[in-house]
Amino acid sequence: MADAKNGAGKMADPGNILFVVYLGLVVLLLILSLVTDSYSAENADNRDEIRISEVRQGSLLFVTGEGGEKYGVAARLSQDVEIYISAMTARTMVRQRFVNDTDRWQEAVYVFPLPDESAVDQLRMKIGERVIEGEIKEKEEAKKVYEQARKEGKKASLLSQERSNIFTMAVANIGPGEEVEVEIEFQQVVAVSDAVFSLRFPMVVAPRYIPGAVVKDAGEQSAIQFSGNGWAMDTDQVPDASRITPHVLLNSKESLNPVRLMLELAAGFSVARVESLYHGITVNGDKERGTQLIRFDGTVKADRDFVLEWEAVAKEYPQAALFSETHEKDTYLLMMVNPSVADLAKEAPPRELVFILDTSGSMAGTSIVQAREALLTAITRLTANDRFNVIEFNSEATKLFDRAEKGDAEHRKKAIRFVSSLKATGGTEIAKALDLALDGRMDHKRIRQLIFLTDGSVGNEKELLATIHSRLGDSRLFTIGIGSAPNSYFMSRAAVLGRGSYTYIGKISEVQQKMMQLFQKIEHPAITDIVLKTASGQPLEYYPDIIPDLYKGEPLVLAIKVSQGVEKELLTISGRRDAGIWQEEVTVQTVAERPGIATLWGRKKIRSLMDSLSLGASEDEVRKQVLHTALTHHLVSRYTSLVAVEKQVSRPSEADLLTLPLKTNLPHGWQATKVFGGAAKTATPAQQRILLGLLLLLAASLLLVWNRRERR
Amino acid sequence: MKRWILRITAFVLLAGGSFLLADGCWIRAKAVLAQILLQNAWEQTVKSGKPTKAWPWADTWPVARLQVERLGIDLIVLEGESGEVLAFGPGHLLGSSAPGSEGHCILAGHRDTSFQFLQSLQQDDIIILDTTAGLTQRYRVMESMVHTAEDLYFRESASSSLTLITCYPFNTLEADTDLRYLVFTEKS
Repeated sequence: MADAKNGAGKMADPGNILFVVYLGLVVLLLILSLVTDSYSAENADNRDEIRISEVRQGSLLFVTGEGGEKYGVAARLSQDVEIYISAMTARTMVRQRFVNDTDRWQEAVYVFPLPDESAVDQLRMKIGERVIEGEIKEKEEAKKVYEQARKEGKKASLLSQERSNIFTMAVANIGPGEEVEVEIEFQQVVAVSDAVFSLRFPMVVAPRYIPGAVVKDAGEQSAIQFSGNGWAMDTDQVPDASRITPHVLLNSKESLNPVRLMLELAAGFSVARVESLYHGITVNGDKERGTQLIRFDGTVKADRDFVLEWEAVAKEYPQAALFSETHEKDTYLLMMVNPSVADLAKEAPPRELVFILDTSGSMAGTSIVQAREALLTAITRLTANDRFNVIEFNSEATKLFDRAEKGDAEHRKKAIRFVSSLKATGGTEIAKALDLALDGRMDHKRIRQLIFLTDGSVGNEKELLATIHSRLGDSRLFTIGIGSAPNSYFMSRAAVLGRGSYTYIGKISEVQQKMMQLFQKIEHPAITDIVLKTASGQPLEYYPDIIPDLYKGEPLVLAIKVSQGVEKELLTISGRRDAGIWQEEVTVQTVAERPGIATLWGRKKIRSLMDSLSLGASEDEVRKQVLHTALTHHLVSRYTSLVAVEKQVSRPSEADLLTLPLKTNLPHGWQATKVFGGAAKTATPAQQRILLGLLLLLAASLLLVWNRRERR
Repeated sequence: MKRWILRITAFVLLAGGSFLLADGCWIRAKAVLAQILLQNAWEQTVKSGKPTKAWPWADTWPVARLQVERLGIDLIVLEGESGEVLAFGPGHLLGSSAPGSEGHCILAGHRDTSFQFLQSLQQDDIIILDTTAGLTQRYRVMESMVHTAEDLYFRESASSSLTLITCYPFNTLEADTDLRYLVFTEKS
């Protein structure tokens, strides 16, 4: 029997064996071809090594014609920073030393950041022993003065503002082996939050995501030497793209633009803690009273912001502070008021939360995972006192509930199920979602907060911002930027207009922490609709002119101008808390004079004027007012620049001038691929899948054949 | 009993194999099918002068048409560089200049679908790029280079240039690679 069976099996064999052999051969061939392919690929890599390393030397990949000269060695830069903190204000001196080691005459162009709202009012150029003071001029005029000097071979420097926190320093005619030092000074207000004082000194301009189409006349603009030396061209949405994107050094082992720092802290109270978040520092001096001297340990690579935090001994934390300066007969005040804890300790009023989640195709991948995670974190924090709803949008917008529901266990469960199932696909119709979310109503018995999670990849920003402005009512909009390159411009503008805040979540590991921070803040009632008047009811010119909502732990900081003749002994601040009124009185006694307050007021006024542009204020009117303020207070702004020109000619007319933008470091922890698009995945697993699929099919057929033989 | 296990295993393998095979083929088919739909959307775009989506739920739109006559290549270029975009055709890197405009335009595509032809490009080949505005730009292939993705650094050039990027090496199973194949071209 057994023999017969075997025999029958053998009889059936030839066809099967042939089939197996055939398949086996095909697979073998496939594998072989792949092995040889990858082998030759490896060889190719080796061959390319040389070229790659050559490229690294210049760290520029693109050397497109016109000779390599365009990419020669630029002037070297080192910086000294001195910061003097005195209670609520800080005066900073930045000394930039440009050294030309080459044998060519050079013009150095350096794009650098300064703190937001820094009031830049001094520029000095030092050549050897000579010091030339910079003058404030209208931007175009300053540029002309500089260009003229540049052509004539005179040393000149021009400091212009590109964005509220990005500046360009151009220094012309640095001779071979020469050194030119420029010194700038600015005034700023220190930040206070949760009784922690802090000061940030940024040291690198992060490469920006430049959305939009390239503007046609960008070429014209870049013909002007110092206006277009960045890596991105101007686009319709970011018209100054080429000016805010300095070249970045990608070989991270090298360090550029070393910084030395010296800081003097006169806190005005006994300091319990002083700490630098990212840099090693040495602290000397008296902790109890007087000043403390802080230094960097050595020089520091300019690739991340310097942040200093300090705290008062608990009983000395100031409840209010007032500083004053008289400038051209007007009095300027800088005021800080901490709403007393008792005022804020009441029960939270009922809140209505609306979560809006972008599920468009651009959110695909890690973005949607991050967003879902963030939303789930938020939903689990809800209580039965809250009411909430969830809106998701792509090409269409959908509500989870018809109307806001209680945040009890049942509804939370429903929401969690809904959110967990969301996938990213389709278009980005933010307008439809805003229509659903914004009801334009005013109702002081509730607090309505919109939490908006998106990467903000939209083209019609202006219309959307206008919608938010006109339909906000008493809702507050909190935007949360998701993904590696969200459209931060749109989202921070949206948050300002929505009178909320903007949070950026770059990594999934940050989701929990950032969402907790935001929720802890907005869970407590805020003081809203704050206004300031004199006791006799006269209005004052103060900035920010629309005072933002105050949350727990946040002090109110205002720069005030009291015109000559206005009664200023008693000021009244009032606002709305829950359904009631919050009011505090500030007595302006004889306050010690402190220089720089008027400058700060001017800077804040300019900021407010510039912000009004996106609300539709006329550009001409804004320009006129900014010019007036900037020229009065000697401030660099969008429309004014500081320029310093040496009288004597130093570059002989026969020598050429080489213009080289200075490279900056890539911010710490940034990956070049994420910034320059190298991250685009340009391979599919198709071949892998097909081959693996074939192999599995082969294995299956082998098994089936064997199975059939067994049966016989 | 043993036979039963064998059969189950065989069917699992059969199902798994078919799925992988189908999925792999689908990736390729999608790239081919999408281009047919995109050609229509492209004609609409040029006619109307407005971005037109190839299908209503698309999150991208055609921004250029890329042709290489010598190799019989005719592709519609999409806006963006995300995986969703590249599945359907070459994408225009958001940070780079608009196709056909002054400046540096960068396109990326899959090495095994839309941009497989990059390996066949030779010096002095002509690449024709039609823009949505109806302009035609001709680019001459200057050189090609292999580079690690991490070190890619794109300089804005004032002159018109077009750079094509795909993964490297071609014809390999591994989907994850750090190397990129770059083809530099200049306006001719």
